[in-house]
Amino acid sequence: MILVVASFTFFLVRMMPGNPIEAKYEQLIMSGYTPDQAMSAVRVMYGFIPKQPLFQQFVTYLWQILHLNLGQSISYEGTPVMKIILGAAPWTIILVLTGTLASFVVGVLAGVIAAIRRNKVSGNLITVSGSLLHGIPQFVMGLFLAYVFTTIWAVFPYGAPYDASLTPGFNWPYIGSLAWHAILPVATYALSSYGGWLLTMKSSVISVLGDDFILAAEVRGIKPSIRMRYIAQNAMLPLFTILALSIGFMFGGSIFIEDIFDYPGLGNMLTNAISYKDYPLMSGAFLLITVAIIAANIATDFLYSIVDPRIRR
Amino acid sequence: MNAELQLIDAQTAVQVRGLNVVYETTQGDIPAVQNVNLDIRKGQITGIIGESGSGKSTLVMAMMNAVAKPGRVASGSIEVSGVGDMMKLSTEQQRRARSTELGLVFQAAQNSLNPLRRIGHQVLDLGRSHGVKDLRALLRKAKDLLERLGLDADRVLTAYQHELSGGMRQRVGIMFALVLDAKVVILDEATTALDMLSQASVLQIVRELHEERGLTTILITHDMGVVGDLADRVVVMYAGCIVEEGVTQEVLTSPKHPYTRGLIRAIPRISGDIDKAVPLSGSPPDMNTYKQPGCLFADRCPLAAPECQQSRPPLLEVETGRHVACFRVNDHA
Amino acid sequence: MVVAQTQLSNGQARRRHHREPFLRFALKTIVKKPGRLIGFLIIVLFILMAIFGPMLYPKNLPIDPNAIYAPISWKYPLGTDFEGTSNLALVITGARYVLFAAAMGALFTVVFGTVLGLLSGYFAGATDSVIMRITDFILTLPSFPLLVVLSTVWNFGQPVAMGFVLGITGWGGLARAVRSQTLTLRERGFIEAARGLGLSSGHILFRQLMPNVGSYIAMNLLLAVTGSIYAEVGLFFLGVVPFHVNNWGVMLNLAVFSGGAMSSPQALPYLLSPMLALLILTLGIVLFLDAVDEMFNPRLREV
Repeated sequence: MILVVASFTFFLVRMMPGNPIEAKYEQLIMSGYTPDQAMSAVRVMYGFIPKQPLFQQFVTYLWQILHLNLGQSISYEGTPVMKIILGAAPWTIILVLTGTLASFVVGVLAGVIAAIRRNKVSGNLITVSGSLLHGIPQFVMGLFLAYVFTTIWAVFPYGAPYDASLTPGFNWPYIGSLAWHAILPVATYALSSYGGWLLTMKSSVISVLGDDFILAAEVRGIKPSIRMRYIAQNAMLPLFTILALSIGFMFGGSIFIEDIFDYPGLGNMLTNAISYKDYPLMSGAFLLITVAIIAANIATDFLYSIVDPRIRR
Repeated sequence: MNAELQLIDAQTAVQVRGLNVVYETTQGDIPAVQNVNLDIRKGQITGIIGESGSGKSTLVMAMMNAVAKPGRVASGSIEVSGVGDMMKLSTEQQRRARSTELGLVFQAAQNSLNPLRRIGHQVLDLGRSHGVKDLRALLRKAKDLLERLGLDADRVLTAYQHELSGGMRQRVGIMFALVLDAKVVILDEATTALDMLSQASVLQIVRELHEERGLTTILITHDMGVVGDLADRVVVMYAGCIVEEGVTQEVLTSPKHPYTRGLIRAIPRISGDIDKAVPLSGSPPDMNTYKQPGCLFADRCPLAAPECQQSRPPLLEVETGRHVACFRVNDHA
Repeated sequence: MVVAQTQLSNGQARRRHHREPFLRFALKTIVKKPGRLIGFLIIVLFILMAIFGPMLYPKNLPIDPNAIYAPISWKYPLGTDFEGTSNLALVITGARYVLFAAAMGALFTVVFGTVLGLLSGYFAGATDSVIMRITDFILTLPSFPLLVVLSTVWNFGQPVAMGFVLGITGWGGLARAVRSQTLTLRERGFIEAARGLGLSSGHILFRQLMPNVGSYIAMNLLLAVTGSIYAEVGLFFLGVVPFHVNNWGVMLNLAVFSGGAMSSPQALPYLLSPMLALLILTLGIVLFLDAVDEMFNPRLREV
């Protein structure tokens, strides 16, 4: 699958308007390089040599990727793409992970309550809160939070992932500042995915409540706490599959959030790469996001097989 | 019979008085069990028989006060020997009585297990729920029971539900009903899903366990043959009412209610001519049946008289230990 | 289960069609609940805006150097932008691109998803595994980052182009769902029975199977519209797509990144007006979904 995506990215770059690789090559020749020098410079940059047949370029490209070489960035002259990406990835991962975790926990709990109290006002209120938050697009949510908490009440800082006056490192003021600056982006993230978890968990719990074994547990006099565990366990199952699918959407969403809050993660890098026409960086970032999704999918499958004995062989 | 609250006598395991269960629908309440008075005698096997929808299952669920929504017990009392009135107990007391006093084998026993937990763990969950101290002994007991039921106990206890066949799950369901030494065991169509041979063997084991442990067993079925083979007493239900009740032998040989007679006549026999099996004429009761004031069976009854359309016949003792709800009980004898 | 009932009552549903013209029936369903009616009216309003909006204003909207970031007034009900152009005019003229692209996007999504899902479920075997491989691939690609990358290749000035790209990146989930619905029908002997009657594949696919997944498709069409709106407005908001035309996303982008709406309250109306349009339209669609569910779902209809 990674191979397919890598090939896809390769041909995507080849399709770019004005063929950036040849443009760069021509540009280098113009600026006084010899054809040989220019070719090796381009090779370093993109990971494959222009004037060769397409197939050979393709093989070279894949070979380079196999060695974790994604070429060199254009906008950050000479820096390997891999290095830039690795620098940006932790920001996104922290953002996505905390946001997902928070929304998952809160959403699932609220979903259970909404399902059990579905005929009461409190349950309906929870459901409505979920549908509303679910319906608001992420960038609107981000803009809203940013406006309310940085412009109207300047509670939280805006822009920059930490206080610029602090030295990065493993010290408390720095970590504290990191956390403080992360609150709004993470909250945006969590609020916009909370609704989805809540609604899915609610319908899942309702369908499990109708299952025979829950009634059987009641008739056997199983303790409410244990019965609750039975319900929760079984209702959680479908959510794992959705977790895998949603990771893709998460990276999509992180683009907006990083853009709005000026957070230096992969999404921000991708938009910058596009505005600077930095194709190696762009394809590298895209490839890495996809690989992350594939990895998440595999991890989810594995997790699922642990949770559901029926899948285990 | 005195419908007032009374001390339950030593012969009775479960005493049902004036029980009404309704199902709430948008068109109003539909009665599922109507005015049922019933004594389940200790140490006997009582068969409850009737068509699908006659209220058999609802009746036993009401005995455990576990009628599922949209059903609701409208009125009545259920005195269980050694427990008290199920309707008046607190939720926690009711919960504690389940499995320890009253054990139920589910109609859909194949699906009565948590698919994500091993059977053994679910036995332990049951033990913990009822404050069993010696969980190891409980597992041993479960194992003995499973072996009695003809299963490979070690394999079953470590298995998940999906690893067992339908018949095996059904037996596991029986084990769950018995493992905490419930004195009253209710089998709700527990063998209906099984093939003829395993049905026979499971019923055989049920009878053996019943005798060994001095149980009170309630057997719900729509199979007259099962009742004839096993039950000491039989209760015939129609449209949520008891129409006839008595010693099995007597009821089967000389049925007094026209519905019971119809049921017996409808049984095809392997040795006999299939044409001799006479299906009941008319259609099962519906909303309109309940709305009219007369006997619920009147529309399908070959003996229906004008009075049967006017009011409902009460369940009366016509001989010692024999109850029938029919105005014309003597008109054909 | 759902499919089973859908299929069982299909016959009854058909008969109902004959007794009552679909339009009148649809109208009845909408009027039944006030929420649905409001949703329906909102959608109609926006559609009218998209069709006739640009005709109300000159091709180049008038600018007013004296009313830059003017507050809300009778002349400028939603204030003005950085050039003094009325925000209301911007929202109304911007609706055409947004709605047209979203409609195209939803149409492409549903057509790709339904056809591929049906084919996959109907033919099974090799066809199925090939189509499902492609679906898996599409589902694996992160759709929004992909859109961002594709925006550098494609020219999104035309709403059809935008819609097409939204369609090819978004059909995966629907195809999978339609396939699994088709497979349940297949398991229940539906397809064998139809083949046994000597019906052609095309007939079975589009006359027999499609109505059975109809309600599902109708729901997804509307959901895809909202999804498409978010995605395209988002793309313009990020500023990765060249601004050929005026639309809501462009407004948001200019308000936040050039107008400084986040810090200067006077630019706030410029930011809020496209946001408001977006939220109201979404609300309308969500409210209307309920009616669509009842219209196309024979199970609910009989009640």
